Amino acid sequence: MTRRSLRDNPKRELWLAWGATVFFYNLYAVVFFLFTHIQPPGQPWYSPDQASTWFTEHHHGLGIGLALIFVFGGLSATSIALITYSIRRMSVSRAFSYSYLIIYSVSAVPGFLFICVALTAGIMRPERSPQLQHWLYQLGFLSFSGTMGVFLIGSLIWMCAILLDGNRVFPKWFGYLNLCNALTEVVVSPSWIFKTGVFPWNGLIAWWIDVVIFGIYTGVFITLLRSMIIREDFGTGPLPAVPAWRFWQSPVETAP
Amino acid sequence: MTVAEVSTPPCRTRQVPGQPDMWFFVLFESLIFTSYFCVYLYYRAQHEAAYLAAQSQLTLWLGVVETIVLLTSSWSIARCVEQSRNGRYDVARRDAFLTAGFGVIFLILKVVEWVRQIHLGNTFSSGDFFQYYFFLTAIHLVHLLIGFVVVGVAIHQLSSPRRRSQELVETCATYWHTVDFLWVLIFALLYVVR
Repeated sequence: MTRRSLRDNPKRELWLAWGATVFFYNLYAVVFFLFTHIQPPGQPWYSPDQASTWFTEHHHGLGIGLALIFVFGGLSATSIALITYSIRRMSVSRAFSYSYLIIYSVSAVPGFLFICVALTAGIMRPERSPQLQHWLYQLGFLSFSGTMGVFLIGSLIWMCAILLDGNRVFPKWFGYLNLCNALTEVVVSPSWIFKTGVFPWNGLIAWWIDVVIFGIYTGVFITLLRSMIIREDFGTGPLPAVPAWRFWQSPVETAP
Repeated sequence: MTVAEVSTPPCRTRQVPGQPDMWFFVLFESLIFTSYFCVYLYYRAQHEAAYLAAQSQLTLWLGVVETIVLLTSSWSIARCVEQSRNGRYDVARRDAFLTAGFGVIFLILKVVEWVRQIHLGNTFSSGDFFQYYFFLTAIHLVHLLIGFVVVGVAIHQLSSPRRRSQELVETCATYWHTVDFLWVLIFALLYVVR
């Protein structure tokens, strides 16, 4: 691709937002799963001393990983913006896109910022009493796993928009996948009650199965957003279909 | 992309009732529930005696009645689809209302059963079996509540000659059958399997 074609490409901002979304979710996965070991979450039944030890054992990983999230976490806005754009491109009321934008802007706070602040406060003051460290530990994981209501409503808003849309921005099956994702937010709610078994914040049902569904859902919506950008004609009517063989083609080749 | 390159979707021959997209949902939800069932059966096999003791506190006949009610609701929604296909929209709409009515009866029976269990001292946090019992029946009930909205969509479709999308009515019926199908599995696993 030449420099001129990039400059003239009317979709460059959309591709920039999409690239930032891919970067954010990859960073999120690497930081949360590999650096900090926030995922899978620590044990819910830890005593104050064990929680304090957990902070000490994960000090460096948490420090580096959470610093990266504080620097790049704002990129989560790009995926929200792109999804809001996709809803605006649909034939539904703008109320859907505004509702989605507002609810997901709020959701970043319980979604990942709250746990980052609580755990950073835990590692940066290790001399604090174990009881307070325990409180930060529980606050972090419970806020992360237990405050899923905003995501539930957000997924349902996107689902309704897709099912009502006449512009074929997304396939209807993805609307139904939104419902599957929304239901996982209900499944995780017992994590407030249980410390052991399959329902606490790291339980087989409340966390492992949910995270697999969320992983599939995230991969699917990022792929479908890419497809939407390829098909975007900046009109107001139905988006043109893309032949299956072009679906994986380079976006540069398909740009007008 | 030029206009010439834009492909128009080919005329689709129907292979399943309703939107194929809904069948994707049925498959995906079935996989999710299968994973719950596998977890339940695995832990049940580890502590079989404790699970059997807890299971004996369930009221089997109530579960049977609930199953019959939900199966009857599936029959009425199937009738609704059939009547709609034949152009008898008023009868189809009545059948859709009947389906919602059976759903309400199931809902009431389920709440009565929960209240009964709570009075017996069996709550969501009182033992492994009742964790699964309350979780599976509650998540199923959430599906049933969504089902009321779905049946409402079918009734809305059938109410006006300007709408009446047969595909949408069949899609709604597919969802309702899924709720029924999942209940039959839950009933078998929680109430019947010994």
